[in-house]
Amino acid sequence: MIDHDIIVIGGGLAGLRAALEADKKGVDVAIISKVHPIRSHSGAAQGGINASLGLDDSWGSHALDTVKGSDYLADQDTVEILCREAPERVIEMENWGTNFSRTEDGNIAQRPFGGAGFPRTCYAGDRTGHNLLHTLYEQVLRSGIKVYSEWLVTKLIVDKEKCVGFLAMNTIDSKLESFRAKATILATGGYGRIYQRSTNAIINRGSGIGLAYTAGVPLQDMEFVQFHPTTLLGTNILITEGARGEGGYLYNKNHERFMINYAANAMELAQRDIVARAIQTEIDEGRAFPGGYVQLDITHLGNDTINERLPGIRQISIDFAGVDPVKEPIPVQPGQHYSMGGVSSNKDGETPVSGLYAVGECACISVHGANRLGGNSLLDTVVFGKRAGAAASDYIVSQEAISDDILSKAIADENEMIKALMGESGENFAEIREELQAVMQNNVGVFRTREKLDLAFERIKELKKRADNIKVMSKTNVFNFELLNALELKAMLELAQVITLGALVREESRGAHFRTDFTERNDEEWLKHTLAYYTEEGPRLAYKDVTITQFQPKRREY
Amino acid sequence: MSEFELMIRRQDREQIWIDRFTVEERPGMTVLEALFHVQEKIDGSLCFRYSCRGAVCGSCAMLINKVPRLACRTQVSEVKDETTDEPKDGVASIKPSEIIEGRNGILVEPLPNLSVIRDLIVDMDHFYELVDSIKPWINSDAKEKATLMEPSMQIQLEKYTNCILCATCHGACPAAARNGEYLGPAALAKAWRFHLDPRSKEKDRKELAKFINSDSGVWGCDVVYKCVAVCPKKVTPTQGILKLRGKME
Repeated sequence: MIDHDIIVIGGGLAGLRAALEADKKGVDVAIISKVHPIRSHSGAAQGGINASLGLDDSWGSHALDTVKGSDYLADQDTVEILCREAPERVIEMENWGTNFSRTEDGNIAQRPFGGAGFPRTCYAGDRTGHNLLHTLYEQVLRSGIKVYSEWLVTKLIVDKEKCVGFLAMNTIDSKLESFRAKATILATGGYGRIYQRSTNAIINRGSGIGLAYTAGVPLQDMEFVQFHPTTLLGTNILITEGARGEGGYLYNKNHERFMINYAANAMELAQRDIVARAIQTEIDEGRAFPGGYVQLDITHLGNDTINERLPGIRQISIDFAGVDPVKEPIPVQPGQHYSMGGVSSNKDGETPVSGLYAVGECACISVHGANRLGGNSLLDTVVFGKRAGAAASDYIVSQEAISDDILSKAIADENEMIKALMGESGENFAEIREELQAVMQNNVGVFRTREKLDLAFERIKELKKRADNIKVMSKTNVFNFELLNALELKAMLELAQVITLGALVREESRGAHFRTDFTERNDEEWLKHTLAYYTEEGPRLAYKDVTITQFQPKRREY
Repeated sequence: MSEFELMIRRQDREQIWIDRFTVEERPGMTVLEALFHVQEKIDGSLCFRYSCRGAVCGSCAMLINKVPRLACRTQVSEVKDETTDEPKDGVASIKPSEIIEGRNGILVEPLPNLSVIRDLIVDMDHFYELVDSIKPWINSDAKEKATLMEPSMQIQLEKYTNCILCATCHGACPAAARNGEYLGPAALAKAWRFHLDPRSKEKDRKELAKFINSDSGVWGCDVVYKCVAVCPKKVTPTQGILKLRGKME
C-alpha cells in the first residue's frame, strides 16, 4: 500500500498545477500518470492561452465572449472565476519560465482567436501547450513532488460517499497496488479516441472519466463534443485556430471563401462549432475536394510570418501531409477535438463524492458550456488546477486516517477481474474499439439525428456485450499493452453510451450539439445541464439548472 | 497496394531476437502506424511507447534503419528502401548492432545508449536523471508582473525550448555510448537554455556552470554534431555546448 495525503491522477497541465499548489501548502502530494508527465496531451496544444492582459481589454469582456461562445450553457459564476484569475495565472507561468512570444516592447504577445472580441490569446509560437507543460513539469521537479510514471489507475475506491484512494497497475510488471489518499484529484484529460477522427493523442481514451463514472459520480454535458474545424487530412493532427487568427482563408474546391455563406462578418474566425458545421456542409453537399476536405490557405502570410508564428504547423504539414504551407494550401477536415463535458465538479474542482476532485478536460465545471472558446482550455487547466490543489489541501486537514481493509479487499477483487480477462480465445479489444470509433464517427458527429443516434445507442450496447468476452492473449508481465488496452476499452464504451444518450434526448441544437431534426436552440426546455449516472443497465439521466448571473441568453450571431 | 517487411528487434529477460512481419503499406503510413498494425493485428505482446503520434510528445524515439528517429514522424515510404548497414548522411556509425540485416525493408530497434526493458522500450529513467541533474528550472516564485523580454531573446531561447526530451540525441551520441555518466546533449542543451534565460538567477547560473564544468559535462562532447543531425525539433545541442564552454572559468 502506498500512502499520500493527496494524489493527483494525470500529469498534464491541470494535474501538475494542482500538485504544485498542494505542495506549496506543505501537503504530502504525489502525481500518478500512465505516461511520463511531459508525454501528456497538454503538450500538443498549439494556439494559446487567453487572458485579458491588454489595457483596453477586461475580464468582463473575456467572460461575455466565453458565455456567448458557450451558447449560454456555461455557468456564469465559474466563467467569472476563469476570466478574473486568467492574468495572474498567465503571468505566473511567464515568471516560472514559459517562453511566450513577445511584442516589440517586450510584453507577452497576444493574437486574435475565434469568437473573441479582443486579441487576448497569449502564445509561445504555435507550441504553447508544449511550453507550458515543460515549464510546469520543471517546477514540479524543483518542488521534489513524487511522480509515479507509467501506472494505469484501474479503480477508484469510494467508501460511504467518500473517496479513500484507488488501485493502479504498474505497467513495468503488471502488478496492482493500492494507493491510499485522503483526497484524489482527477486530471486525466479527454476521451477523443472514441472517435475515428480526433486531434487527440492516442492515449486519450477517457479512462479517467470512466473511473469516476463507474464509482457513482455523475458525468455532465457529455453530449457536447467539440469538433475542430481544421485537422490535417489523414492523421487529423490539429492545425491551430491560430492559422486563421493570423489571417488564413478557407476555400472549397471551387476556390470560394465559403465562410461568407455561414458567418459573413466573422468569416474564418467565427466560433469553432460554426466553422466545423460550415466545412462539414461543404463536404456533404459536394463542394469539398475528393476525399472530403477543404483548403486552409496561409500562403499569402509569407515565409517570415509563417516561420515566426506558425513554425509548428508548417513542420506538421510537411511531415504528415507532404504539403509546405508556405507554397500551397493545407488540406483540412473537421475532427473530434475536445470534450466540453466531463466529471461534474464545481469552482474548486469538488465532485459530489467527498475527497474526489476533477479538473481540466476530464471535468465539467462548467466554463465551456456547449462550445469552448479557443484558448480557454489551457486557461481552464491552470486556473482550476490551482484551485483544486488548494481546496484539497484544506479538505484533508479535517480527515482522519483511512483503514486498510477496504483497499485490501478491493485489490483482491480487481486481481480476480484481471485474471478472468486473460485467456486463449475470445473477442479482441482492437476489433471492438475500431467498430466503436466508426459508430461514433458516423452517427454522433458534427450533425446528429434521432435515427442515427438510436442506431448508435443500439450498436454500443451490442459492443458492450461483446466486450464482456474480451480475452487478453499476451502473457507478458512487462508492458502488456494488450491488457492495458482491454482495461481502457471498457471506459470508452461507457462514455460513448453517455454521449450518445445525452445527444439523443436533447432535442435541440446548442453549440457543438447540432440536431438536423431540431435545428434551433430551445432555452425554454433545454437551458439546463445533463447529468448521467452509471447503472448496470446503462446511463440514467437527470438535469440541473444553469447558473446565470449577468448575461441573459441571446441568439448567437457572428 | 504494396507490402513491405518490418523487422523488429525483440528482447525479453531471456533473449534477443528479430521478428519479421509483412505489412500492407497504406498511403501516408508512418512507422508508428506499422507498429500498431503488428501490435493490434498480429502480435499483441509487442511493446513500444507512444502518445501524441504528431511529433510533439517525444515518446516514440527508436532506431529506424540504424538512425535514431521518432516512429510517428517517419514515413514508411521514406525508409522502406533505405539500405540499413550504411550510415545516413551526417549520422555516421551509430552503435554497431549485432544484427546487420534489413535491405528493402525497415529495421526497427530500441534506442541505443539506454538499457532495454523489453522490445522497443528502453530505460528512460537514466536519461531523465541526467537531464534533471542540471536542475532545469527557473528558481523563482511568481511575481506580480511578467518579465519584459526582447523578442530576439525569445527567439534565441526558442531554439532550445523546442526540445521535447525524446532522447534521439542521446541515442546518437558517441560520448554517451562511451560514458554512462556523460550528461549528454539534451541535458547540456537545457543547461544552455537556462544559462541564457534572463529569468535565471545569477547564483543558479554560477552553480550550473560549476556543475557542468567537467569531463562528464561540457568537456565530454566530441563535437561531431550527431545530436544536431537527428533532432526532430531542429534543436542544436552542440552549439549550446560550445557556447557553454566559452563561459567556463
